[in-house]
Amino acid sequence: MSVADYAARNRLRVGGAVALVALAAVAALAADVPVADVVTVGFVERSLQAATPIAIAAIGGLYAEKSGVFNIGLEGFMIFGAANAAAMMYLVGGSSPTQADLWMAIVASVGITLAYTVIFAVLLIRYKADQIVAGLAVWFVALGFGPFTAVLLWGNRNSPGLASVNDLTVPLLSGIPVVGPILFDTSPLVLLTVVLAVVAWLFLYRTRYGYWIQAAGENPEALDTAGVSVTRVRYAAVIFSGAMAGLAGAVLLAHAGSFTGTGDTMVNGRGWIGIVAYLFGNYNPLGAAAAALLFGGLDMLQIQFQTAGIDLPNRLVNLFPYVAVVVVLTVWGSTRMPDAVGESYESED
Amino acid sequence: MSDADSGGARAALDRAASLMLNASVLQRVAIATASTALALLVGLVVVAAAGYDPAAFLLNVVEGAFGDRTATARTLKFTTVFVLTGIAVAVAFRAGVFNIGVQGQFVVGGFACVVAILRLAPVLPEGAVGGVALILLGTLAAVVAGGLYAAIPGALKAYADANEIITTIMLNFIAVGVVGYLVEGPLRGEGNRAPNTDRIPDYAEFPSLVFDVPDFSLVGLGVALAVVAAIAVVMARTNVGYDMVTSGHQESAATYSGVDADRTIVRTMALSGMVAGVAGAVFAIMIQGYYSDPSGIGTYGFDAIAVSLLAANNPLGVVPAGLLFGGLDSAGTHIGINSDVPVQLIDGIIGLVVLFVAAPELFRMAAERTGLGGERR
Repeated sequence: MSVADYAARNRLRVGGAVALVALAAVAALAADVPVADVVTVGFVERSLQAATPIAIAAIGGLYAEKSGVFNIGLEGFMIFGAANAAAMMYLVGGSSPTQADLWMAIVASVGITLAYTVIFAVLLIRYKADQIVAGLAVWFVALGFGPFTAVLLWGNRNSPGLASVNDLTVPLLSGIPVVGPILFDTSPLVLLTVVLAVVAWLFLYRTRYGYWIQAAGENPEALDTAGVSVTRVRYAAVIFSGAMAGLAGAVLLAHAGSFTGTGDTMVNGRGWIGIVAYLFGNYNPLGAAAAALLFGGLDMLQIQFQTAGIDLPNRLVNLFPYVAVVVVLTVWGSTRMPDAVGESYESED
Repeated sequence: MSDADSGGARAALDRAASLMLNASVLQRVAIATASTALALLVGLVVVAAAGYDPAAFLLNVVEGAFGDRTATARTLKFTTVFVLTGIAVAVAFRAGVFNIGVQGQFVVGGFACVVAILRLAPVLPEGAVGGVALILLGTLAAVVAGGLYAAIPGALKAYADANEIITTIMLNFIAVGVVGYLVEGPLRGEGNRAPNTDRIPDYAEFPSLVFDVPDFSLVGLGVALAVVAAIAVVMARTNVGYDMVTSGHQESAATYSGVDADRTIVRTMALSGMVAGVAGAVFAIMIQGYYSDPSGIGTYGFDAIAVSLLAANNPLGVVPAGLLFGGLDSAGTHIGINSDVPVQLIDGIIGLVVLFVAAPELFRMAAERTGLGGERR
């Protein structure tokens, strides 16, 4: 399924998105909003950064769901990812970690989250735990243990300032106007996400294992008959989704530079928005990444509104992404889920 | 609405529903107990791994929950809220709708209650009569607000196929944000430094009766138990409740016997939200006496999901489950003051309870291996 195919098959979705943007533009013009002050290069950069954790979590989640398991625990695994990355960075680098410490912390955090996900996958697949309830449980556990870790280490639910990731500047290319600063003078994690989205797309639609994942969700009996273990494919997909959510949390931390464990933690619903991103992207990694960019942009609007001098209360502007999720789900709610999602599969032999 | 003349289908449904509801009560109790024990065990391991004394922690939990009159009153205070929010969750889950939005409905309801009381107080007479009237009208406002707020995701699910798990979670964030904005700005009490509304008048609060503490009253607990009884009757004995439960468990059969599935979803969510509204009102009147920024009031609506699941979504089971979580939360408060173990551990343990409740197969297999539980599969 190429991008053009995708657009052709999802005219309503793509058309809707275009219409929404057009509507927003008209509204902005009508209300005399200084558009040039709102949509700046900096805004695009910040939106990309805000979109990365959502996109990464969404890609993981859609793999799990494609394989027939609804991993509703993304939000929880993201909290673990962020908390563990902060803890690792502090344990290795103390209060002034270097970039090397930061990267090590990201890798270690993904490893730890992966280990958690193995337990989660066993509960879901071997012990047939209710996928919805178990996923919610992961969230609750993380809401407790994320801040718990922080209090243990720092005596406070928030970590002190650690380190955030340095921008990667590609010489020459970064000199190109507009595109240069956005793509070639930015967080390397943004570039990583772009690569991840493309690779995830290629893997899902262009490799044999990708077809197995899709078959595990659509028609597990057929896959079983073909001699491939449905259980094994699902284990792989669920564990991958958890590791990606862990990465998403670590990336969020790497951009923020410190862990926030108050309220709903710094993840603050991004895992849930990730689920909506892949629903909106119709289970396509590239579509999911594009949807994540939409939510990331909404998330960053408040800074733009402030700099442009538009007087809207912060707390209300912060709610834009959540409102957008409800609108998106309402208008495009009926996505076609893979057939066997939510059912545990029992092999005949 | 069910037609009386489709008698055969209805009798079959009756049998199926009663099997669902009653057959495995003992097993459910066993699984709930085992889940809680296992979660506590994991919690103790974490305490030990973090370098604290697990025995002292356990002692603190028991002392903090039921150690003295203050602790008991505190436990019952939390229990009151958990029973109410738990039953709100249970109503929906029992009917096959995932209302994760009880927290939001609880906030909207409680806030509406305080605003209604503050607006009506100058109009009504002061004293006992006015107080009772204010409490009743405030609760009514909470019920309406909670019900309407819950009806939104219900309608979105029924008529636009929007996944209610995600819409209700988003509406939680939206409720907390909007109410937070209102108490910070437009509705902040005059001269208040903190983002709070004005206090409701003293005569519109519950009398504390037996326990001499300002934030718990047996009246509140009584309200909670009355709501449990009412919901249990509605679910088990009325057509509305019957339609809700059957369409949750066997949608096609329910549709066959003439139940409008869409309307039932909206109705279920609204009922669930109305109960969450009562919970919000009791919280506002009994515990707070004003309304503050809801991002800091406690996650009663989320923990309620654990309460309901532990009770296997059974309205009556919510009472002991609510007591357990009330005790845990109360112990958390005690531990926060008297021990250096971070209280967030309690939230983690609650999450673990849910995780283990989700996997009954785990305990069945364990029971089989060890030969416990006899014939049970």
